[in-house]
Amino acid sequence: MGRQRVFVTGIGLISSIGNDVSSVLRSLRNLSHGFAPFIPQNEKLQGEVKLAGTVKDFDLSSSDFEDWQFPSRYRIRRDKLRSLPPHGVYAYAALEQAIESARLQEDDISNLDTGMYTASGGSMRLVHNNMSRMHQLGPMRCPPTGIVSSIAGTLSFNLVAAFKIRGNSCGFSSACASSGHALGYAFDDIALGRQKRMFVVAGEDLNDESVLPFAGMRALSLKDDPGRASCPFDKERNGFVSTGGGAVLVLESEQEATRRGVAPFAELLGWGQASDGHNVAMSHPEGLGLIEAMRRALESSGLEAGEVDYVNAHATSTVIGDLSEGKALTEVFGKRGYRPKVSSTKALTGHGLSLASALEASFVALSMKEGITPGSAHLKELDPVFGDLNVIRETEAVAPAVALSNSSGFGGANVTLAFRKV
Amino acid sequence: MSNEATNKQVTSQAAEPSAEEVLRETLKRCSPETIEAALAFKSSGDVSLVPTVVLGIVERFLEPEMVDVLKNGDDSVKFMEDLGLDSLTMFEAIMMVEESLGVSIKNEELWDLRTVGDLKVFIASKITGEETVQSAKFYPIEQVAATMPQQEPFLFLQSAEISGETASGVYEISGSEAFLAGHFKHDPVFPASIMLESLGQLGVFHFLKTQAGETSADKLSIYFTGADGVRCHRVCRPGETLALSIELKRRRDPMVVYSGKIMVGDEKAVTAEEITLVFADETASESAAAS
Repeated sequence: MGRQRVFVTGIGLISSIGNDVSSVLRSLRNLSHGFAPFIPQNEKLQGEVKLAGTVKDFDLSSSDFEDWQFPSRYRIRRDKLRSLPPHGVYAYAALEQAIESARLQEDDISNLDTGMYTASGGSMRLVHNNMSRMHQLGPMRCPPTGIVSSIAGTLSFNLVAAFKIRGNSCGFSSACASSGHALGYAFDDIALGRQKRMFVVAGEDLNDESVLPFAGMRALSLKDDPGRASCPFDKERNGFVSTGGGAVLVLESEQEATRRGVAPFAELLGWGQASDGHNVAMSHPEGLGLIEAMRRALESSGLEAGEVDYVNAHATSTVIGDLSEGKALTEVFGKRGYRPKVSSTKALTGHGLSLASALEASFVALSMKEGITPGSAHLKELDPVFGDLNVIRETEAVAPAVALSNSSGFGGANVTLAFRKV
Repeated sequence: MSNEATNKQVTSQAAEPSAEEVLRETLKRCSPETIEAALAFKSSGDVSLVPTVVLGIVERFLEPEMVDVLKNGDDSVKFMEDLGLDSLTMFEAIMMVEESLGVSIKNEELWDLRTVGDLKVFIASKITGEETVQSAKFYPIEQVAATMPQQEPFLFLQSAEISGETASGVYEISGSEAFLAGHFKHDPVFPASIMLESLGQLGVFHFLKTQAGETSADKLSIYFTGADGVRCHRVCRPGETLALSIELKRRRDPMVVYSGKIMVGDEKAVTAEEITLVFADETASESAAAS
């Protein structure tokens, strides 16, 4: 069997800018952000961090999962809910949407040719609570689901069991590049004929423990004006706004998509990754890892740089991170005379660690199907250092034919995914 | 109980809650009767309240459609098979019972608590300190497989229960057994010889657990040597569950003899007056050789 083409055939989204594909699309068209005041549960922590990309219609703030509230269309039995972290509920809901979106039947989901890769940083809230309980009451009072609901990999344990997945499965953990890696390896599995179908699931909590530690890194914006708090590429950019949620993409081989007669959102052409080898928390100042990730993605996809007409940038709105990516884009495109459109949808959604790459990949695939190119909101004054880039501000009513989606994680892990309009 | 545990206890400096408040919080999703019975037990130590508390806690973890099964059933209702509780839910329920009644249950004790009656008797005996009547001991497939010399694909015993000189066991005919493809062509029938084998295996399991003394299974050879008075009463097919039972008739070393029976539902499938196994303790022969 030769290399298989890989298509995105299903998408599910629980995000700050919408809890289904159509509302997310509306937000992308209108450039409506998903930010709202962030109210820490621990009142001692109030004050510094003003905003978060909040997920509406889900209240997972209680310390008791049986108090959690979410839309009734997602009925999750207690014996499945009890081992989920808060972001597991987002992911579960997004997965149900994606299954519906791809028009998959039960037999399509549970078989040896269908796998699942997940991306999540785990639930620091549950780790904290469970460990505190253990120290207070002893090891035999740790909840029996305490580990599987909290450690990195929790999405994989829970969702593989809940949806009876029988193919390849694994949890990826490379911070903000996690779901990019998950998508990349899922692509490989299908392209190489190891699997016919892969679910790629990403999720992150939205609570004190998932949001506030980034303030200590000085990575979060402390502004209370949404337009100024997340403004990638802007001269006044001052850090990112945190978000949580869930995103799921269904990837299928061409053979399988054709057999089922499903209309894909886009084709995933290939991917590339490389590491900066530079700093635990900051991108290489010249964007070395991301340059190589983009080059490898182009090579893997059989693309020339000039064919790319849109890049969904990682750009979180931090001073150093955006600069690093700007230099990488200039190196790969600008210096060779190419000026693809560039935008950062994090201006709308906020930044959600492991969630980011899958969320943005789904935006790219969705945009290709729906005929838009999302703009970069909240950009008042382009930082002159990005003068070479074609950063688009408004959403344009034309789909990119070929697009890249960039992600950069802690430790300088970089992933680039390449898509083509079908 | 929550997998998020008690965030408030960690972050708040509020006054320590009273014992009653803690108990009410622990049992907050139980029925009012359960909570009041637990509070009354805490103050009086009245053991007659234990069933109310224990059943109330079990009920709290049930899916709604299972509540009637518990309420209308007797002490023989099984947690997993009848009420659909899995082992993690059992751990949750046991933890709540421990917190509510102030008892501690060891891991190895947990495996024997299969029915509502087991749990009630066990907790009551924990509280009073009186010795419990030893009920049948249950062995899930993991323990069966760890004990038996026979292994997949030639293990025809999926769980077992031992009570004194009797044992019962289960084998569900899945239909994927390789030999069914040829027994018979287009007409899968579970072979009578394999049914007899499954009874023999239950005998082996009983022997290893109750008769083998200190000799470990890997130092003991045990073989099927004979069967008498065997009758097959019905044909068994994929999807049916063989309910196996044996009883120790006599032991005359190196022979041990069991009687056996297989039921499918209410129907008799196989009866065997005598199943004879022969065994040898290899540690004994090694010692003899060494001397």
